[in-house]
Amino acid sequence: MKVTVRLIAAVLAAAIAAPLAAATIEARVTDPRGNPVHDAVVYAIPDGRTLPLAKKSAVMDQKNRMFIPHVLPVQAGTAVRFPNSDDIRHQVYSFSPAKTFQLPLYAGTPATPLVFDKAGVVVLGCNIHDQMSAFIIVVETPYFDKTAADGRASLGGLESGRYTLHVWYPDMRTEPQPQNVTVKSDERMTVSFVGHGRS
Amino acid sequence: MAVRSFQARLLYLLIAILVLLDAGTLISVYFAGQRTLRNTVADQLRVGSRVLNRILDTRARQLSDSLRVLALDFAFREAVASADVPTITSVLANHGSRISADAVVLVNLNGVVTADTLGGRLSGKPFPFAALLRDAQNHGEASAMVSFANRPYQFVLVPVLAPRPIAWVCAGFEIDERVLTDVRRLTHLDIAIWSSSAGPQLAPDESKYATLEQPLPTGDGSQVNALLASNLEEAQKPFRKLELQIFALSTIVLIVAVFAAVIFARSVSQPLRVLAEGAGRVERGDYVTPIVVEQEDEIGHLATAFNQMQSAIATREDEIRYQATHDALTGLPNRTLFLDRLSYAIAGAKRSTGSAVGGPSVGMIMMDVDRFKEINDTLGHQVGDQLLIDIGRRLEHTLRQSDTVARLGGDEFAVMFMAPTFKHAEEVAARIVGAFDAPIILGDVSIDVNASLGIALYPAHADDAGTLMRHADIAMYDAKREHSGIAVYEPGRDEHTLRRLSLIMDLRQAIVRDELELYFQPKADVRSERVGHAEALVRWNHPRHGVMRPDEFIPLAEQSGKIGLITKWVIRKAIAQCAQWRREGLDLAVAVNLSALDLFDSELPVFISGLLTEAGLPPASIVLEITESAVMKDAAFAQKMLADLKRRGVCLAIDDFGTGYSSLAHLKRLPVDELKIDKSFVLNLTETAADDLVIVRSTIELGHNMGLVVIAEGVETAESWAILKRLGCDMAQGYFMTKPLPAEAFKAWLQASRWGSSAR
Repeated sequence: MKVTVRLIAAVLAAAIAAPLAAATIEARVTDPRGNPVHDAVVYAIPDGRTLPLAKKSAVMDQKNRMFIPHVLPVQAGTAVRFPNSDDIRHQVYSFSPAKTFQLPLYAGTPATPLVFDKAGVVVLGCNIHDQMSAFIIVVETPYFDKTAADGRASLGGLESGRYTLHVWYPDMRTEPQPQNVTVKSDERMTVSFVGHGRS
Repeated sequence: MAVRSFQARLLYLLIAILVLLDAGTLISVYFAGQRTLRNTVADQLRVGSRVLNRILDTRARQLSDSLRVLALDFAFREAVASADVPTITSVLANHGSRISADAVVLVNLNGVVTADTLGGRLSGKPFPFAALLRDAQNHGEASAMVSFANRPYQFVLVPVLAPRPIAWVCAGFEIDERVLTDVRRLTHLDIAIWSSSAGPQLAPDESKYATLEQPLPTGDGSQVNALLASNLEEAQKPFRKLELQIFALSTIVLIVAVFAAVIFARSVSQPLRVLAEGAGRVERGDYVTPIVVEQEDEIGHLATAFNQMQSAIATREDEIRYQATHDALTGLPNRTLFLDRLSYAIAGAKRSTGSAVGGPSVGMIMMDVDRFKEINDTLGHQVGDQLLIDIGRRLEHTLRQSDTVARLGGDEFAVMFMAPTFKHAEEVAARIVGAFDAPIILGDVSIDVNASLGIALYPAHADDAGTLMRHADIAMYDAKREHSGIAVYEPGRDEHTLRRLSLIMDLRQAIVRDELELYFQPKADVRSERVGHAEALVRWNHPRHGVMRPDEFIPLAEQSGKIGLITKWVIRKAIAQCAQWRREGLDLAVAVNLSALDLFDSELPVFISGLLTEAGLPPASIVLEITESAVMKDAAFAQKMLADLKRRGVCLAIDDFGTGYSSLAHLKRLPVDELKIDKSFVLNLTETAADDLVIVRSTIELGHNMGLVVIAEGVETAESWAILKRLGCDMAQGYFMTKPLPAEAFKAWLQASRWGSSAR
């Protein structure tokens, strides 16, 4: 099926009271039929500025032969642990260029987490459970969020300035057109994305 | 032969029906077999086609599954993810060989070939089977038949998952002999699959194979065809066997049926042949041998009917033969049978002796009852018939058993007997005459039977039966004429009779050919010794027999009814001559003889008057001489006739007076002028012949007493002339004066002799 991507963006500037001079972008992602897209990652890359790598950590659990969460957005540099909550072993791997790795069959939690320091999508799989898959989205910004079931995500604590807003979600055919926005302090901005592809 | 052809026809018909039945069965079996065969083969091919499709589908699924498993191999995926083309190529070859793929191609998600096991031939180019790729993108995997390197391939395409698709791996499997062998084993069909560009690999003989060509679904629009072929010879084997069995069976049935038909045809035709032979025997006259058919059916009835018919024919033939050979009235043999027996007897006599002289002879008597017609007319036919029957009986009683008595017809009987001598034959005849000495009594009538018998003998009188009968007949007529009762055939009589017949025939032409001539004999007045009359006498100058006198042929003319013509010819000639003489100065009356039959020609008086008037002669110039017996035939009519002539002035004379039995009373009534004494009284008239003298004298006196002129005929001597003159006879005629002379000679004689000098 041929996929066409159409991006309709409506930027509404809303002056919402933000006492610490931080702006917030409210994003809403829908599919062409208007249904909200769940687990879509919305992230904002500040223009002209490089941000330091995060020393953060995150967890990609394996439970009931599923990766939890299914989609995990992390800032580049984040260390992710892969605990195994099942009573069977898993062999987690990724052939994604952003992070190619393989965790040989293991139970429990590996001693060392993996640091994802390169932006990109890392597709995770379990070599002995073909149906298991998950995505770690490595972004070079601290400003990111994942949509809830209502398709809404909220990026808060943004400094004033220009940003490029990106959206990614699994099964999308093509990344929706990034949107350039400029936020001011305390500004609450609402951005809508219409993605093409399965939600 | 009709019987044989009937049997043959029956046989042919039966055989033809049987052969037709057999042929029909065989043909229908053949065609049903062919139809079934065609349907079976077509079904087989259709099933084969479905089997082929199923096998290819199954193979595609199996290949797809194999490839899928392969694509999930971690090492494989790892190698693919490495993006190192040589590595990828080697893993494609390595893993491809695990599933026996003939070609393995790796395609990236953009549809461009990353690596292949074909020496990189496709690398860097778009995947050649785009439709296959699209199908895979839509359904997660795809398989299709394609034509690859001019060979039919099954290509399967599955994603390489990590776990999300990172690439497509495609494996191609050539449809090789192993696949086809599977299909063949399952379907018992020959099969070929080829890509259209390569052309068919199998070109089966159409007469030996039934084929089904079928395009196979392909993933790239290329043409891949499958040809399924069924070996007809193989398929036909069971039908051939069935046909052979039916043929053998029907041949046996046919042979048995032909035998049965032969027996049946024979059972019909054999008795028919017996019947035909029986009919043939009947045809040849065998009415004794019966037809034997030992059957109770229609033919048996027919044989019985044949036998009945045979005996009926025999009976009827006996009756017919009896009727054909016997006289119905008397029961005596008839003419046919008599002639048969006579011939038989003569033939027997001829056989028993070489020479006719002194040998046994066969005698026959022809017998005719005198006056039978009178008896029949007077006493009636019933009496006549009864008389004939009694005559037959008397004849039979008179003769020996071995002799044959036959009735030839009418009152004519014939007797045949073996006669050693003439004398014996005459004795037989005398005995027959003696048998009728006693009268035959019929009721209250007593009849005297007189018969005339003619005797003829073999070999003295004839050499065959027919001639013998004719001669006996002639002898019988002689006996009748002579009132002698019995006459023996005189040799030569037969020739006389033949001459008579011949003359009768010639007489028809005599007048036409002018063979008749008139001679004249003078009648002289006795007292004056002068000739006053000339009697015209007709002569016949016969071309073969010479000059014939009237008494030789006039009776024949009377018998054959020619006398009227001759009489008229004589009268015409005589009157003409008389007229000529008168013109020449001879005053003579001519005398013409009339036959008894002429008196019945009522036109004669007119005819004579006419001629006299024409010639300018007085009626008394002609004298008509009528014999005494002629007048006596029918006295009343003759009298009228003579009266008519007399009234016309014609002179009439009674000729040959003295030979008949006319009564004087009758004579007295006749209107005649003259009386001619028959020459038999005159010829030997001498002074010493007392009887003749008395008769002549008394006749002259009688004539004179009745006022008639008396003429003597046959005057040959001076003595008789003198006697006649003395007795007072008026006229005389005879050789004493002259024999009859032709007209010219008569005139010359008359003018030269003393008799003619005093012509009136």
